[in-house]
Amino acid sequence: MANYKAPLRDMRFALYELNAGDELATLPGYEDFTRDLIDPVLDEAAKICEEVLHPLNRSGDEEGCHWDNGVVRTPKGFKDAYTLFREGGWTSIACDPAYGGQGMPKAVNVLMEEMICSANLSFGMYPGLSHGAYVALHGYGSDALKAAYLPKMVDGTWSGTMCLTEPHCGTDLGLLRSKAVPNGDGSYKISGTKIFISAGEHDLTENIIHLVLAKLPDAPKGVKGISLFLVPKFLPRDDGTPGERNGVTCASIEHKMGIKASATCVLNFDEARGWLVGEPHKGMRAMFAMMNTERLSVGVQGLGLAEASYQGAVAYARERLQGRSLSGTKYPDKPADPLLVHPDIRRMLLTQRALVEGSRALSVWAATALDRSKHHPDARERERAEDFIAVITPVVKALLTDFGFDVTNLGVQVFGGHGYIREHGMEQYVRDARIAQIYEGTNGIQALDLVGRKMPAHAGRYLRQLFHPISAYIEKTIDKDGMTEFVEPLAKVFGRLQQATAQVARTGMARPDEAGAAATDYLRLMGFTVLAYLWARMAEVSLPRLEKDDPDGFYKAKVMTARFFMERLLPQATAHFQAVMAGGKTMMAFEDAAF
Amino acid sequence: MTDIRKVAVIGAGVMGAGIAAHVANAGVPVVLLDILPKEGDNRNAIAEGAIERMLKADPAPFMNRAAAKLVTPGNTEDHLDLLKDCDWIVEAVIERLDIKQALYQKIDKLRKKGSVVSSNTSTIPLADLTRGLGEGFARDFLITHFFNPPRYMRLLEIVQGDKTAPAAVDAIAAFADHKLGKSVVMCKDSPGFIANRLGVFWLQAAVVEAFAAGLDVEEADAIIGRPMGIPKTGVFGLLDLVGLDLMPHVNASMAASLPKDDPFHALNKPLPLIERLIRDGYTGRKGKGGFYRLNREMGKRKEALDLVSGQYRAQRKAEVDAIADSGRSLARLLSHDSKHGRYAWQVMGPTLAYAAARAGEVTDNIADIDEAMRLGYNWKFGPFELIDQLGSQWFADRLAREGMAVPAILKLAAGRPFYRIDKGERQVMGLDGNYHTIRRPDGVLMLEDIKRRSEPLLKNGSAAVWDIGDGVVCFEFTSKMNSLDSDTMALFMKAIALVKKSYKAMVVYNEGNHFSAGANLGLAAFAANIAAWGEIENLVGGGQSTYMALRYAPFPVVSAPSGMALGGGCEILLASDAVQAHAETYTGLVEVGVGLIPGWGGCKEMLHRWATLGNLPKGPMPAVAKAFEIISVATVAKSAAEAKDYLFMRPSDGITMNRYRLLADAKAKALDLARDYKPPEPPTFNLPGPSGRVALDMAVQGFHRQGKATDYDLVVLGELAEVLSGGDTDVLTTMTEADVLELERTRFMNLVHNEGSLDRITHMLETGKPLRN
Repeated sequence: MANYKAPLRDMRFALYELNAGDELATLPGYEDFTRDLIDPVLDEAAKICEEVLHPLNRSGDEEGCHWDNGVVRTPKGFKDAYTLFREGGWTSIACDPAYGGQGMPKAVNVLMEEMICSANLSFGMYPGLSHGAYVALHGYGSDALKAAYLPKMVDGTWSGTMCLTEPHCGTDLGLLRSKAVPNGDGSYKISGTKIFISAGEHDLTENIIHLVLAKLPDAPKGVKGISLFLVPKFLPRDDGTPGERNGVTCASIEHKMGIKASATCVLNFDEARGWLVGEPHKGMRAMFAMMNTERLSVGVQGLGLAEASYQGAVAYARERLQGRSLSGTKYPDKPADPLLVHPDIRRMLLTQRALVEGSRALSVWAATALDRSKHHPDARERERAEDFIAVITPVVKALLTDFGFDVTNLGVQVFGGHGYIREHGMEQYVRDARIAQIYEGTNGIQALDLVGRKMPAHAGRYLRQLFHPISAYIEKTIDKDGMTEFVEPLAKVFGRLQQATAQVARTGMARPDEAGAAATDYLRLMGFTVLAYLWARMAEVSLPRLEKDDPDGFYKAKVMTARFFMERLLPQATAHFQAVMAGGKTMMAFEDAAF
Repeated sequence: MTDIRKVAVIGAGVMGAGIAAHVANAGVPVVLLDILPKEGDNRNAIAEGAIERMLKADPAPFMNRAAAKLVTPGNTEDHLDLLKDCDWIVEAVIERLDIKQALYQKIDKLRKKGSVVSSNTSTIPLADLTRGLGEGFARDFLITHFFNPPRYMRLLEIVQGDKTAPAAVDAIAAFADHKLGKSVVMCKDSPGFIANRLGVFWLQAAVVEAFAAGLDVEEADAIIGRPMGIPKTGVFGLLDLVGLDLMPHVNASMAASLPKDDPFHALNKPLPLIERLIRDGYTGRKGKGGFYRLNREMGKRKEALDLVSGQYRAQRKAEVDAIADSGRSLARLLSHDSKHGRYAWQVMGPTLAYAAARAGEVTDNIADIDEAMRLGYNWKFGPFELIDQLGSQWFADRLAREGMAVPAILKLAAGRPFYRIDKGERQVMGLDGNYHTIRRPDGVLMLEDIKRRSEPLLKNGSAAVWDIGDGVVCFEFTSKMNSLDSDTMALFMKAIALVKKSYKAMVVYNEGNHFSAGANLGLAAFAANIAAWGEIENLVGGGQSTYMALRYAPFPVVSAPSGMALGGGCEILLASDAVQAHAETYTGLVEVGVGLIPGWGGCKEMLHRWATLGNLPKGPMPAVAKAFEIISVATVAKSAAEAKDYLFMRPSDGITMNRYRLLADAKAKALDLARDYKPPEPPTFNLPGPSGRVALDMAVQGFHRQGKATDYDLVVLGELAEVLSGGDTDVLTTMTEADVLELERTRFMNLVHNEGSLDRITHMLETGKPLRN
């Protein structure tokens, strides 16, 4: 099985050199987070991911979770690993110090999330979901609820879930049927069936805190009538220890394509006692509040798996000897040349590398914006950051999870038949990556969110925070020494993105189907443009270091990867551009009966 | 026919004073008399006070200050002899028969032969007014029922008696039409005439049913509003506007004069909550609030009255699924199975039935009933047009099913619509059950009619060009809100080529509520947000060259605006050879409000006009200062007359009082200019340059210190000052139009790059109000 080494060098590049990570400490509340503090944390995170979590990845996949009469057991080793994880303080790292958290900036946290996802995505689901519940409760819960539940969720003795989906409704939450009836004492009776609940039942923590969407008796129709409730598995006693068992049971767990060590549960709520989080009927607000961070996290799942797959593929391409180089033998002392010499293998590896490093740069960029949106002292700067997040979130989620699947697939391809068998773990990455394109809003929904909600809002105001920096950057850099080869293709794709944006906005306004038909290709076009911008910037940062300051060849590899991206990957953007401009007439005119 | 050259109005209350002001707006001298005041030495205090109040009122009863000078105030004790040379005497005194008749006795002794006397009564039958007065008086007497405010409400109901001389009616009707711009509807002498008869019924039904259904006022107004083409103030918002205290009076007088079997009586029940509100001073916007109010104690919280508890609570957005579920189908809304759908029917079913039953009683012409509700209550569709939307059969069936009487006219219609188009002509059903073509009055030309009968010569997504006869084409904006974009400019260029080849002149005109509120800001803001700078520069440059092409085309271009002509919509007036404007035209270069400056030649034209037509002191600076003064505060002229004061219109430009006559007047003007037409000589400019800029900057800084100019105003007005002072020039350098246009363009582009301007644009698009950043 492939080893995993956290790509700390590139992570520090993305954080400090590309996205001005040192400036984080200038934001109020982040004063302590200087490089001296961040670097050791990253080193420690790498250690637990490499040494504790990654070794359980394949065994967890082979064994899966066990359901027995409502009790769920995680695979061997998970419970001990979780105890180490919890005791190391990793559940509290990104949480509010007021509840025992460490208040780490998102820009740092996103790197740790990537490591966890590379090492063992299934394991990461448990603390990941818990953190989602933490964010919603922290943002919208009453002080009493927060005081009662957050400290234990932060220190990891309790975990949390998000219960949205029901058998008949996933994307369209307006169809929700779960009910909440007031008990008269401030609590509610929650009844209904929830499915696909990750970490819904397990043996890692002493209590599980479910956040459940349900409807009150007087609820308005549709999504405007959904409320959010906190329903603990065990009702806490006055001393805070878990007491009486609440009316929530795990009816079964799903048998899935991937993330098999993550328990995906059917939960039955039978007059379970719960408490309202936030205002009645305003449950979707809390969902939206956590959505930006959650979607970034899911995007990072794609990135993490892609990184792990790339590492496996490179190692294998170095070791595995097959055939001779087309341009003549390279390693005459060996029975055959390593795979690495073959152009098509290099194409696959560089594609993986360019997408992985570009995605990492993007994930840190988005995360720093999240930090600015919460911590910047100037309200105007916070608003700008929020606008940027509004646009970039669907792009990060969809692009990075699509890349996650594409890149892990390439990893299998590099291994050939050995990638297809389970022994090397390469096919597991593909299976694990597949779900990220689906949950937390399918990638189709992300594209619709981008063209239908984000693009037209405030006459395109959100777009400004993406388009203006890129436009200004092109203007500033196009004639800079050595940069033309990177900025020219960027300028070209940016022009196409502008043209496509104008077209989608115009036609979409009159005919929503046109916007819907363009959405996925448009999101891809924007994604490639953003990566082109980031790769141009990465080249710009690296170029001055090439001659004098590049002992390990890191910057040279960066510039070469940037060049590869511009030459070999960016042309895909043209295809997406043409698809957008072709419009949706034909697909909409196709007879329903003819499918 | 008597030519009306001088008018008297007796009674200087809200209506009388407003009528006098509007007569003055028409350029006709008018005497305004009222009784002696109860105290004080000034015997004319009431009339003079009314004029003073009107000069401060907003919306203004006078179209400009000059009009006020045409009103001579006086009192009925000392100045009745002023009536001697008046051609028309309007009585607008208190609604008491004895007082009115006593006044008529006096007037009749003084008035000149052939003069016409009319009453503005809204409740007293004509037969009662003339009872006991002589034949001669009755021959010259009629009712002229104006709507409040008289300047703005285009409906005039006229009632004539059996004895009224046709010449008297014709004289007043013609004067009201041509000079006062009114749409005259002839009514029978029945209570409340037409508009108020139906309007009062409708309001009462809407209020009573809202109480009965326990609705929020927001819900009621959302339903009985936009979905029916009724102004969004709906019912409760409208009552706040006119004053709650009026309601019991109007209802009582209506009830007193209506026949015993009139359905209104059943609705006219006491409403204790409203009585309490009036008692406590909650009479609407003029009082402490009404059904809605702004609670200043709670940080200007918008509140609404709960009809059940009678308490104010925070205003909330009406959630009415019935509206969304019905799409745009009125029938679906009226049959929606919900309390909202039932409310819609409970109000509109009886109201439309009541209207239909009045055919023959209030007038024989149902098209006049529709016109009265359109112009008297600002309904987009009259009741018969609404019944046509429902389908007359659907409506008759529904009434029958609900156990309500089906009015005779509906039975006569037998499922046919009340209106139809036959060979391009609009026809209306008569009381005989046959269709009759609706004829426009002589001299009225409507694009609506032309569009029904012909195909456009040219057309794209934003504009169309029509042949309006005699070698004249009409250029019509067709975009949403008549906003201007690159498609508009492209069609202008095509139209110029077409007219050059085959026509004599072009009229720029449309029949939207507003001529044009200027460039499509949404498009511009979006382009700026995605950094599509080239596209914006093309829009600015393209507009400039289009307007220049219009100005120097070898044929005359006449713009004929009505409603708002702002920003780019004002610049097109400036680029035209002549303007023929509806009196109610609101012009202005308002770009600074959205953080921009006029970029389609507006700066250039204002400089040129004030230099050549402004009667200003010599030297380069006065015209620059004047243009800056006007543009820098986004001045809007609130009438065509006022537009001339600011030179948005030239002194030689024409004003048409009647909206329906605008196109015909503009066409006549264009044909007049087409004889021996020569394009104008290009102007040149000698501008002060940096020294002028300094002077303007100092003024702006002064405003900034006083808090009248915001931080971002400094940026915007700096760019405006740069353009108007001519940039890097001096008074000895002669600049061309192209030079000034280039300044406009580059400075416009500077601003559009700026986040401050984008914030202003977005704020305007989303709230309709300027952002003071």
